[in-house]
Amino acid sequence: MSDQTIKLLVIDDEPIVGKRLKQAFMKMGMEVETFTDPREAMNTIKQKSFDIVVTDLKMEGMDGMTILEEVQKLNPKAKVIIITGYAQVDTASEAFRKGVFDFIPKPFRLEELKNVILRAMSGALSESNKNI
Amino acid sequence: MNILESLKHIFGGGKTEGGEAPLSAATAFERFREVLRCNNSALELIADLGEKLSGDYIFDRQYIYNTMEGLEKAVLQSVHALNALCNNKYQILYSTYDRLTTRLDTVMENREDRDGVPVINIADTSRSHYIILGGKNAHLSQMLHELRLKIPEGFILTTRAYHDLIDHNGLREALNAFETAMEAPECTVEALEPLRHSLEQGILNAQPPDGLLSAIADQLKAIKGIFGEDLRLAIRSSAQEEDMNFSFAGQFRTILNVSPAPTAVFKAYLQVVASLFSPKALRYRLRVFPGEGHMSIAVGCYRMVESSASGVIYTVDPADPAGDAMIIVSTWGQGEAIVEGRVPVDTFRVQKKPPYTLLTQSIARKNTGLYPKQEGELGELDIPSELQDQPSLTPSQLERLAAYAMQIEIYYKRPQDIEWAIDHNGDIYILQARHLVIPATAGPKGSLADALKKYELIVSDSGSVAQQGIGAGHVHIVNTISDLNEFPEGAVLVSKRDSSNFIRVMHKTAAIVTEIGTPVSHMATLCREFQVPCLVNVTDILSKVSDGMEITVDAEDRRIYKGRVAELLAFKTATDLNISATKEFRLLKRLLDNVSSLKLVDPLMDEFTPEACETYHDLLRFIHEKAVAQMVEMGKDERRLLKDYRAVPLDLPIPTGILLIDLGGGIDPKAAGDRITFASVTSEPLKAILEGMLFPGVWHTRAADVSFGDLITSIVNVPTDALAGQYSGHNIAIISKGYLNLSLRFGYHFNIIDAYCSDMTRDNHIYFRFLGGATDITKRSRRARMIAIILEAFGFNVASKGDIVTGRSGNMPKSEIIRTLNILGRIVGFTRQLDVQMDSDAQVDRYVEAFLMGDYEIIGRH
Repeated sequence: MSDQTIKLLVIDDEPIVGKRLKQAFMKMGMEVETFTDPREAMNTIKQKSFDIVVTDLKMEGMDGMTILEEVQKLNPKAKVIIITGYAQVDTASEAFRKGVFDFIPKPFRLEELKNVILRAMSGALSESNKNI
Repeated sequence: MNILESLKHIFGGGKTEGGEAPLSAATAFERFREVLRCNNSALELIADLGEKLSGDYIFDRQYIYNTMEGLEKAVLQSVHALNALCNNKYQILYSTYDRLTTRLDTVMENREDRDGVPVINIADTSRSHYIILGGKNAHLSQMLHELRLKIPEGFILTTRAYHDLIDHNGLREALNAFETAMEAPECTVEALEPLRHSLEQGILNAQPPDGLLSAIADQLKAIKGIFGEDLRLAIRSSAQEEDMNFSFAGQFRTILNVSPAPTAVFKAYLQVVASLFSPKALRYRLRVFPGEGHMSIAVGCYRMVESSASGVIYTVDPADPAGDAMIIVSTWGQGEAIVEGRVPVDTFRVQKKPPYTLLTQSIARKNTGLYPKQEGELGELDIPSELQDQPSLTPSQLERLAAYAMQIEIYYKRPQDIEWAIDHNGDIYILQARHLVIPATAGPKGSLADALKKYELIVSDSGSVAQQGIGAGHVHIVNTISDLNEFPEGAVLVSKRDSSNFIRVMHKTAAIVTEIGTPVSHMATLCREFQVPCLVNVTDILSKVSDGMEITVDAEDRRIYKGRVAELLAFKTATDLNISATKEFRLLKRLLDNVSSLKLVDPLMDEFTPEACETYHDLLRFIHEKAVAQMVEMGKDERRLLKDYRAVPLDLPIPTGILLIDLGGGIDPKAAGDRITFASVTSEPLKAILEGMLFPGVWHTRAADVSFGDLITSIVNVPTDALAGQYSGHNIAIISKGYLNLSLRFGYHFNIIDAYCSDMTRDNHIYFRFLGGATDITKRSRRARMIAIILEAFGFNVASKGDIVTGRSGNMPKSEIIRTLNILGRIVGFTRQLDVQMDSDAQVDRYVEAFLMGDYEIIGRH
């Protein structure tokens, strides 16, 4: 049972984002860790694996694109979702080229992110089923 | 931009009201629709902002700026549109608009705490003062005025006084530098030290601004007038965010036992204000509001209650947030020592619901207590030995405290940390109430999701969220407005459709669920204001719950559970569902306070004036009502209507004598000839009314028994409107596909029905007016009363005076409008000649009952 618990990591320099997402996804039964400092988040990612990483794009210290690259190196199975208030087509396409799972412009409805995460989860589960 | 100038431009100026010919019906209708269109685009934006506040979105500052800019433009358009409809009769709304817009700009610039009075008595405070009272005082104002609880008498030195103090003492420049420094991302207390220190010292040595001491003296005089010269004061901090969402517990200073002299109060005031800049408070601010520099402080000066016992209540047990017990802690004397852990205390665990059963108690040996010292402050005194081991609260005091605590928790919808005192007369005073902060105790993984599985779901994924949140309580079904009268504390309100009248019970409602309704209704706005978890549009909810049934509403995942879901309530307690931590959220909240709350709820009240508008929403509501009122009057000018339009007789199986004027889409184009039959009517509101009139049994044809007296009255009595020459013998219906203005004259009474129905719920309205009759005023008034009761039963706002009844309803989906118009048709038919039979008050009830039961034939059986 506990093996199937989805592990989610959220990085956003605005505390409200992590707080809100933690609440919503814990309620859905996930294990959620949140960070406002991307460097701290990276330290945790190096020590522990997550199924899904939700990250802001523009942050002091390290941007979401770097997080995406780093996560893919450390844990290729993890799905990365970028959320941003600076939605730009070229950034989005660059992110997709680099293998982001999805790219959501702010402001967004919690439901939208929920659906994307559910999609990412079902993808992850069916992949692991294939392996079995 | 000078609005009045630009207006003269738009409307060509010069022409004064009443000087122009009235608009033709078609033009008036076109302009009426333009008012609706403009109002809609403004309301869409307000709804959009409001939705962001419901907790379901992540948004940023740019979004707020852009939307507010659009909103200001849209509201101005609405004012233009109403004036275009009403021949510039509402020029005054431009100054209303200016007043409200200036206020919003102040909020955007984060300067609203500088407005208003420097000193105010707590008894004179209201909603509009909250922003200058600081959080703690605002809560006390709510408890005094909204919950009607006892709080100590006193007055407030507002945030305006704080800014005056800063300016008067030349501290503004230092304060600006300080606030800028605090906004830096890497700011530390150490880096702030020189500025902090100079501000702290500057304030401690500050001189009072002009007029402040005399204003304090006036307040003291008033309090001493009641309590005598001996009274002592507690001078308490109330910073802007204090108690609202962050506890700030113990961060700022409180000075107790201050003598009631202006200079002593001012000195204590300075100490409290200076504590805004203490290293301890700054550390807290940097932690909870990183990147934010601005915070102002108000100070409350309250009479110290000579308490025999005092203490603290936690409305949930932090060790067991899901449990049904609250914790009451109490000791002899003053309670200040409790929070500091200085004296032994009694601890009681009391059940959270009536009869507030005492679950457990632990009585300490209370050998000392805190009491005011002669020279000021508090000192420890020995407790007489016979009292030391006695409980400091009696069972009945415990029960009263528990009841007050629940009232407060239900009002704020969150667990509370309450400080209270009981004086020697046994009166309970609330000294402070703030949200109880319970650390998120993350249970075992996935526990909540798993735990929820064992509860029976009544509703799943149904309806829309009007306000996020979780609430549990016993169902109280509201069918008519009078059902609100016995609304139990903490119940869940379940209703067929939503109504802004629910505001009356929102302070004691755990959650609201309606079968019909939208997240953009007035009620939804009110729910957000009162933070009442609310689901609307929940299919068939009335058939799934019954009165008294206990349910838990999760207005986040759109679920309703049977019973009390303790795990969900614990989750609510431990997580901070109120996501008010960010700058953006608080800015949006303050803007919405000034945009979307609705003071002008009932258009039939006297206070429905431009001067009373406090928000854009009020203004838009006013505009809508005045636009409707303009349309209502349209049917009166019968001569002109009959000259301007070709009126076609309506051919019905009952003799109504209605002439139709079609503004477009009200009559089937294929209908030929000089008479229109029911089948050819395509105006939806007219069709609905006619269906009601034609309903079997409604249109009773039996000649009324008119007594000789009634006959004389009918000859003598000519209603005033008729004298004014506005009505003659015709019944005219001005119609379009979605609109109806119907003027009816049957015998000696007049009836106006004005209705608009479209797919846009908030555009829809029904206006109903009935007056007159053939009999004496007593009988006519009885019929009017009967109509008023029936209208109320169908959710109308009703005003009646003598034989005049006015009813307003609206903001409901088309299907509801149609259904209600059908009922109005039945009322028109049913009550046509009923005044004759109103020979006693009992008849009113008898016919109301019959009508509501659908027994229209009762008249024939008379």
